[in-house]
Amino acid sequence: MAAALGGMVMNAACVSSSIRSDTDRVRELSRMEHLADVPESEVDPVSSPEVGAMLSKPLTAKSAVKLALLNNRELRAKLRMMGVSRGRLKQAGLLPNPEAEIELLPEQDSDIELRLEYDITGALLAPMRSRAFEPALDAARYETAIAVVELGYMVRVQFYRVQAQEARLAIAQQMLDAYAAGREAAIALRKAGNVRELDLAQHEVAYEKARILVAELELGRMNAREALHRLLGLYGPETAWSVQGYLDPVPAGTVSVPEHIETQALKHSLELTQRRHELESLARRAGVKDTAGWLPDVAVDVHALKSDAESTPVRESWRFGAGVRFSVPIFDRSQGEVLELESKFSAQLERYYGLAVDVRSMARQARAELESAHARAAQYLRVIVPAQRRVTDQVMLQYNAMQVGVFDVLRASRERLQVELDSVDAQLAYWKAHAALRALLAGVAVAQPSEEVATSVSFSDERVEEH
Amino acid sequence: MDRRRFIKAGSMLAAGAVLTKSTLARAQDEAGGPEPLGDRDAAEGVPSRAPRITNEQPHVLTPNGATLPLRTVGNVRVGHLIASSFEHEFAPGLKAQCWGYNHRTPGPTLEAVEGERLRIYVTNRLSEPTTVHWHGVILPNGMDGVAGLTQRAIPPGETFMYEFTARYPGTFMYHPHFDEMTQIALGMTGMIVVHPRRARGPRVQRDFVLMTHEWRLDVGARRPDPLEMTDFNVLTFNSRTFPGTEPLLMGRGERVRIRFGNLSPMSHHPIHLHGMSFATTATDGGYIPRSAQVPNTTVLVPVGSTRVIEFVPEQSGDWAMHCHMTHHVMTQMGHGIPNMIGTQTSDLDTRMRRIEPRYMTMAQDGMGSMGEMKMPIPKNSLPMRGGPGPFGNIDMGGMFTILKVRDSPMKGTGLWYSHPQGTVAGPADASQMRADGIETT
Repeated sequence: MAAALGGMVMNAACVSSSIRSDTDRVRELSRMEHLADVPESEVDPVSSPEVGAMLSKPLTAKSAVKLALLNNRELRAKLRMMGVSRGRLKQAGLLPNPEAEIELLPEQDSDIELRLEYDITGALLAPMRSRAFEPALDAARYETAIAVVELGYMVRVQFYRVQAQEARLAIAQQMLDAYAAGREAAIALRKAGNVRELDLAQHEVAYEKARILVAELELGRMNAREALHRLLGLYGPETAWSVQGYLDPVPAGTVSVPEHIETQALKHSLELTQRRHELESLARRAGVKDTAGWLPDVAVDVHALKSDAESTPVRESWRFGAGVRFSVPIFDRSQGEVLELESKFSAQLERYYGLAVDVRSMARQARAELESAHARAAQYLRVIVPAQRRVTDQVMLQYNAMQVGVFDVLRASRERLQVELDSVDAQLAYWKAHAALRALLAGVAVAQPSEEVATSVSFSDERVEEH
Repeated sequence: MDRRRFIKAGSMLAAGAVLTKSTLARAQDEAGGPEPLGDRDAAEGVPSRAPRITNEQPHVLTPNGATLPLRTVGNVRVGHLIASSFEHEFAPGLKAQCWGYNHRTPGPTLEAVEGERLRIYVTNRLSEPTTVHWHGVILPNGMDGVAGLTQRAIPPGETFMYEFTARYPGTFMYHPHFDEMTQIALGMTGMIVVHPRRARGPRVQRDFVLMTHEWRLDVGARRPDPLEMTDFNVLTFNSRTFPGTEPLLMGRGERVRIRFGNLSPMSHHPIHLHGMSFATTATDGGYIPRSAQVPNTTVLVPVGSTRVIEFVPEQSGDWAMHCHMTHHVMTQMGHGIPNMIGTQTSDLDTRMRRIEPRYMTMAQDGMGSMGEMKMPIPKNSLPMRGGPGPFGNIDMGGMFTILKVRDSPMKGTGLWYSHPQGTVAGPADASQMRADGIETT
């Protein structure tokens, strides 16, 4: 086992410089300068030393992405998997080994026969095979770059979810306070003999139900953090990080989306380029196979025969000869394998065009999602939330004028908080759409998750029969 | 009252005194100048002697209101009512867009003498048709003003002519009889006084008309709600709510007549007079024989009725007169709030301050001081606000006014009554209580 591991390490060491160049290329393709260099000779289960320093400060979306690029194990595995393609490329370019044969023939007039044979066709085809695997290595680099961009997207989205959950929880705790105040008002009124036991019971039920919702939100916050831990590769004491503030407000004015978003998406698409490299590789492999099919399988050999000195009149005991062996490509010209590769190529080409359609569609969708989410979030921030605050202000004036009572004040407060909760959902939708557009322009069209109904919160006032 | 005391008292009733003068002055201006009301005290703006419509009978005075000017053309008395929308002030700080006649609500009092021929032009400047029904007046059927039944409604922009003879003396009213629910709720009411050709009964020196009314005007809103059926929150004498009501000035020992009308949408009003005992002498159906008159201190004025009371004030002073339905003396009282009386709210207050720092629990100890609280309230509202009095805030609003009885109504009548020494209730003296056997533990 130790020997096997030693061999693997030796192998890794042999290709380590190539991994670095591959990583540089991925860094360039993904435009992620913080992408970590995978350690050359070992797989260390401990997080990078930079991680601790980064976690000592409140986390931001940017630092979270940086952390993930350093520490996400799946990404690190993908970086190492580029070595697989590089290995295949290397293997494809190697010349075939000569074959030697030694034969002892005591029953004939010689003692020993030596034969050395070399596959000429294989040697001639080696450069072609190598060239066929070069695009595959490029495809692997693009695939890794796609993974980097996708990870950045997922980390951003998950970070925004954490921020949203923090905000929701803070608002919900105020909401709980409002329900508690309603219960306390009902208790005071009940003690004074001014309301029925029924009224008090209703307020107590409302308060207790609100506690359940807050408990659910606390779980939601923890779940959101755990999902981020998995993306950031954190465990143990590393999970005690704090988050910097709540979601940023959406930018003022109209949302900025690059013009000709479809063209931009196609131009920058890492996925399409990766597919092109795969197609190129397939085409070259088919070409190699086709060429090999037409070429006769030629092998040349030299042989030496050592005769028994007593039984032969020839003075030298060694005799030398040469030969050639070839197949005649009449029937098997690898037509089947060529057809297989050509079919794979055609199928991949169909998928390539399909992907281009998808990228265009997702670009339009990303723009629509962003514009809509921006409009909704801005509507909440700049219109609905202020309007709801104005409602609260007016309710307070009406309260001072004794037109409404304490329960109306509390209801107005709860309505304001509910709007703020809804506003958080709208802001989260915007930042998710923003992350998706960012990924799109970085070359990856991500499928945006549907609205997170499960994490949004609605405190219903129907349970309180106010009086 | 000496000058020093005058200044002190004057500052306390700045609103009331100034209001009185301005209201009277405006009443004359807006009505196009009613007939002269007689001499006025230059300083106080109150009549020193009631003007007379006949030798024996004084003109009626409509506090906060006016009398319709009538021109004599041949043997007909001609007047003009213009129905329109306008901004009306219920009291300082509370205005609303109302409907009425000649830019006022109630409309100017139509005052005539028994047997006079009246020709009243009615111009409709409302957004919908209207009519005028002369409530309680015996007249030809076609002049009764019921849309669809006795006449075609007056379309917007048109003027109709009503002509009839005031055959019987009495106290009547006028109001629309087209979409009356809306038009009356918005203020289209008015009083009619037909004096007998010769005075009946004891001569009166003061003759007032007061139209009672009720409105729904949400706190902070600017138009009464004619759809309200039960919860009225602005209660008025002559469409004014205290402290916007003009006091009724009278002399001690004078005989005073007050004619009440009620065109409230839904409520009757038991009007109570402090310090007076009176007799109800007439309704809109006619005079009540002296033998049937009973002494009273409260007169119930039903919806769609008039009641006339007469009395002789014996005691000088500032006497309250108000509807005795307690919610009718609360302006813009809210009724949908929890009863906080007797609650202990220290825990609640602590928590509420976290939720809404502007919150303060109110009314745990009662509601009498609500009018003096200085918390911000919606613009254009007088919720539970009363008015200033000589001993502090008068915590009543609504259908409340003051009868100012003075030995000499020419002097100082716009000021608060100056009580003789020892005639005002005050803190009890402990030694006297002990002497009287009252335990104070």
